Amino acid sequence: MRGTLTQFGWKTSLQVILSVILARLRLRSRYKGWLLLGLIIPIVMSAIIIFLGRALGGPRAAENFFLNTGTSNYVAYIILGSNVFMIVSRALWDFGFWLRREQETGTLESLYLAPTSMMLILTGVAIYNALHSIVNFFITFALGCFLFRVNPLQGNIPIALLFLSLGLVPLYGVSLLYGAMVFKLKEAHALIRMAQWVASFLMGICYPISVFPPFLRAVALLFPPTWMSNGVRASLLGVGFFFGTWYRDLAVLSAFCVIMPLVGYSVFLATERRIKRNEGVGMF
Amino acid sequence: MEPIIKIRDLRKTYFSKERKGIFRAKKMAIEALKGINLDIYPGEIFGLLGPNGAGKTTLIKCLTTLLLPTGGTAWVNGYQLEKDEEMIRASVGCMLMGERGLYWKLTGRENLDFFGSLYHIPPHLKRRRIDALIEILGLEDIVDRTVETYSSGQKMKLVFAKALINDAPILFLDEPTITLDVPSAHELRAIVKDLNRRGKTILYTTHQMTEAEELCHRVAIIDKGEIIALGTVEELKATINREGVIKIEGVIPSEAYEAVRLLSGVKEAALTKEKDLAKLIVVGSEPRTLLPSLIRTLFENGATIEYISPAEVTLEDVFVAKTGRTLDIDTRIK
Repeated sequence: MRGTLTQFGWKTSLQVILSVILARLRLRSRYKGWLLLGLIIPIVMSAIIIFLGRALGGPRAAENFFLNTGTSNYVAYIILGSNVFMIVSRALWDFGFWLRREQETGTLESLYLAPTSMMLILTGVAIYNALHSIVNFFITFALGCFLFRVNPLQGNIPIALLFLSLGLVPLYGVSLLYGAMVFKLKEAHALIRMAQWVASFLMGICYPISVFPPFLRAVALLFPPTWMSNGVRASLLGVGFFFGTWYRDLAVLSAFCVIMPLVGYSVFLATERRIKRNEGVGMF
Repeated sequence: MEPIIKIRDLRKTYFSKERKGIFRAKKMAIEALKGINLDIYPGEIFGLLGPNGAGKTTLIKCLTTLLLPTGGTAWVNGYQLEKDEEMIRASVGCMLMGERGLYWKLTGRENLDFFGSLYHIPPHLKRRRIDALIEILGLEDIVDRTVETYSSGQKMKLVFAKALINDAPILFLDEPTITLDVPSAHELRAIVKDLNRRGKTILYTTHQMTEAEELCHRVAIIDKGEIIALGTVEELKATINREGVIKIEGVIPSEAYEAVRLLSGVKEAALTKEKDLAKLIVVGSEPRTLLPSLIRTLFENGATIEYISPAEVTLEDVFVAKTGRTLDIDTRIK
C-alpha cells in the first residue's frame, strides 16, 4: 500500500496466520505449569472414573461394560473420552474464551487496530489450538494407556485420526459461537463452565449416549463432539458407529464441518459489528 | 490543499445502563461526539485538547475504525469509514491504550515482530524496520526482555514503537506522554517533531496545554463532544487577549469563587483544588482594573491569598474562558 510498509497479499496473509501461531506458542511456553496441567488433568479425570467403575462393578466390571457399549476395554474407553473432552474444553477456553482474555489484558484493541481480517487471526488461534490439542491427545493417551496397562495400538488408527482431526473443525465453529456470546455478555467464566459441563454430559465422556432417553439422545447427536468422540472410540475399540459404518458417520461430521464454522463466524461477525456500534471491542 | 483527514458531522452515542439496585436498570444514552466537523491537512501536527471525558479518545477510536459512528462520516487518507476499514487501518499508526496494548509475556522484539506481521509487512522489511525503531527509540538494552520487566516509561516507548511499525503517513497519538517522566516525555516530543519533519501527519491528543503549545500547528479544543475552539495556538490565545488572565493560589472557599464569578468585569473563572491548595484562574477585563475588586471580594468571602498575578494567556485560559472549567476536571459521565 502506498506510503506505508503494508503490502496486502496471500504471502503476508499467511504470515499473519503463522505469526499468531508462533505468538500463541511463545505465550503458552511461558506458562509451563499450565502445559503440565493439560497433560495431567485427563489422566486424573480418567483415573477417578476407572477406579469408581472398579469399585462399583467389581471383577465383572468389564463384562457389564461390554453389554452396554460393545467393548470390555472400559479403561481405554474412558481414557479416550477424557482426552476428547479435554480437546473440547481446550477449544472453549483457549479459543472461545481467547477474545475475552485479550479484551481483559488490553491487547484486543491492538489486534483490531491492525489492518488484518479477524478471520486470519482466528484461523491462527484455531490452528495453534488444534495442534496443541492433538499433541496433548497423543501424549496423554499414551501415558494413560501406559499407567493403566492398556495397549494403545489397537483398532483402526487412521480412521480414528480422521474423526479426531475432522471433529476439530465444527468444534471451533461451536467455540466461536460461544466466543461471540462471551464477547457480548462478558460473563466468560460462567458461560464457558456451563458449556464445558453440558459438553461433557452430551458427548458421553464415560458412557455411551445409547443410555440416554430418546430426546436427550437426539440433542446429543446435534452436538458435533459427540460424533468425534464416538468415531474415535468406534474406530479404536469397536463400540459401533451411529450409522453402522465409519464413512456414514464421517459424512455427518463433514456436514457439521461446513455448517458450524459458517454459523459460528456469521454470529461472531454480527456480534462484533454490534459491539463496535456501541461500546467498542476494548470495553471490558 | 486536500485534507488528509476529513470529518463531517461525526456523532457517537453510547448506550449504557444506569443501575437501580440489584436487578433494575434504566437504559441511558451518552452523546460522546455531537457532530464533529474537522479538516486536518498533510504535514500538520494537529492537537486535540480537552479534559478527560471530552471525547478525544472516542474521536480517535472512530477514526481508527475501533468504533462505528452513530452518524456522519470521515475520510482518512482518502478512505471512507465503514467502507475501507482495512485501508484506513493500514494508513495510520496508533498509540491508544497506553501500556496495555502489549503482550507482557513476550519480549519487546517479539511484540514488534508479531504486530509487524499483523500489519502485513513482508519479513525482510519488517526486520529492517524493527532494527531501525530499536535504534530511534533507544530500546537496545530492553528489547530482548519480556515486557513484564519494563518500567512504565519503557512500556510506553515500546507502544510508541508499535505505532510506528508500518511507517504510516498518519499517526494518532492519544496522550502519549501521560505516564512518562519529564526527560522521557521531552525525548518523545522531540521524536514526534522529527517524524513530522519527515512528513508524517500527527493527530495528538492531550490535556496538557504546554504540550499542545510546544508541538501543535493547529489545535481544536474539545469539550463534551463538541469542538468549542479551533485555530493556531496564537489565534486561540488572541481570542481572549483583549481580556486578561489572573492566577490566584491559596485557600479559596466555594463562596469566594462564586462571588468572583459574579464580579463585573469577570468573563469566566475556574477553580481547582488539590488538598488544601486551591488554584483560581480568572478571565476578565484589563487585570489592573479588575485586581483591586477581585482581592477585596476574595478576602470578604474568607479566602487566603498566597499568590496572585496577572499571567500570560495560555491555551488552558482559552478553555476556561469558553467553559468556566479547567482542563483537569474529569467530565466523563459516570
